[in-house]
Amino acid sequence: MFSSIEDQNRAGAPQNMLPLAAGSRLNKGKPTYLICRTVRSGQRFEYPGNAVVMGDIHPGGEVVASGHVIVMGTLKGVVHAGAEGDENAVVLAFRLQPIQLRIAGYITRAPDNEGDFDSGEPEIARVQDEAIIIDKYHPGTEKRWLTKSLKQEEVEQNG
Amino acid sequence: MGEVIVITSGKGGVGKTTTTANLGAGLASLGKKVVLVDTDIGLRNLDVVMGLENRIVYDLVDVVEGRCRLKQALIKDKRLESLYLLPANQTRDKSAINRQQMIKLTEQLREDYDFVLIDCPAGIEGGFKNAVAGAEQALVVTTPEVAAVRDADRIIGLLEADDVEALRLIINRLRPDMVRKGDMMDIEDIMEILAIDLLGVVPEDEYIVVSTNRGEPAVLGGHSKAGQAYHNISRRLLGEEVPFLNWETGNGIMARLKRLIGLG
Repeated sequence: MFSSIEDQNRAGAPQNMLPLAAGSRLNKGKPTYLICRTVRSGQRFEYPGNAVVMGDIHPGGEVVASGHVIVMGTLKGVVHAGAEGDENAVVLAFRLQPIQLRIAGYITRAPDNEGDFDSGEPEIARVQDEAIIIDKYHPGTEKRWLTKSLKQEEVEQNG
Repeated sequence: MGEVIVITSGKGGVGKTTTTANLGAGLASLGKKVVLVDTDIGLRNLDVVMGLENRIVYDLVDVVEGRCRLKQALIKDKRLESLYLLPANQTRDKSAINRQQMIKLTEQLREDYDFVLIDCPAGIEGGFKNAVAGAEQALVVTTPEVAAVRDADRIIGLLEADDVEALRLIINRLRPDMVRKGDMMDIEDIMEILAIDLLGVVPEDEYIVVSTNRGEPAVLGGHSKAGQAYHNISRRLLGEEVPFLNWETGNGIMARLKRLIGLG
């Protein structure tokens, strides 16, 4: 599903995209991409791995990744994490106010007529009991979610 | 078979999208089955004006490129049962679709809906040509400004060349007070230049700003002047004879009173 080269060219962004070390502890085997820019309306980034946005995602902007998505800013656009079906993928944002949020095959949207809701703190979205839930983000606890697939792999390998 | 109507203007910012949203809501509230098609690929707005942005999963380009079925891309309005929206894609540009695809799409839609309203992008290039491809009727939106009327005239010429049969005019953002003072083009001036049937006049109304920002078409909310005007235009689209309001013709009660006492 990733026609990523074409998509990146369209957004005019490859120079801002730095793949981190492949196989980092975040999500084994998947590279992590760094998007060093504000994702504006009409821009779409699609990556086969994790994505970290160093900036905001504006309404109408889209980030699609097969792994986790972390936004070091305000997420007001659309993010699809685990786009290839990974239900363990999470979306973590400094301010999580998405128009729409997708994780694997699950989709959720902002409630109607409530305007911008600002919880005032970082939040993390993940799939639990066949639905996307949003939790307050406590530093440290992300390991539980971000390294889940890694731990599972270790368990599988060891026994 | 439903009617396929394109809402166009040439110039940007005269109210095509607002008109599309309000006439769609107006027709649907009068019991018709309506689908709105946003053809402004890359600069979509209709979903925001309708307050349906958060529901978009598939769009017009996904449909024509076969990534989803038409029914999957249609978004049902949150207020009206019989109103649907086919949103534009935001990440592509006007060349993502062509005329044949639009003709095929409108043929498909008109089988299920009484009205297919197409929101046209500004300009006269590819996006405009795609939008008018499947339309048999056009509503030309203009404002009482020389530049907007000039562009509307150009658009009418292009529509006539494209064999769009029924052309009707909507004059938007008219300020009766300025017309009375002679500071703004009046309806007769505009009709004289454009020489097509007048379908309705929408007054300048602050409530449009409020309703647009809230994502609720003005025609549904309360009793604003613009909402009333759009309601009347919707009824005229259904073939009803609806008399023009006083301020639409510039013969308001105040104007008549002033004329009586020699001020007008």
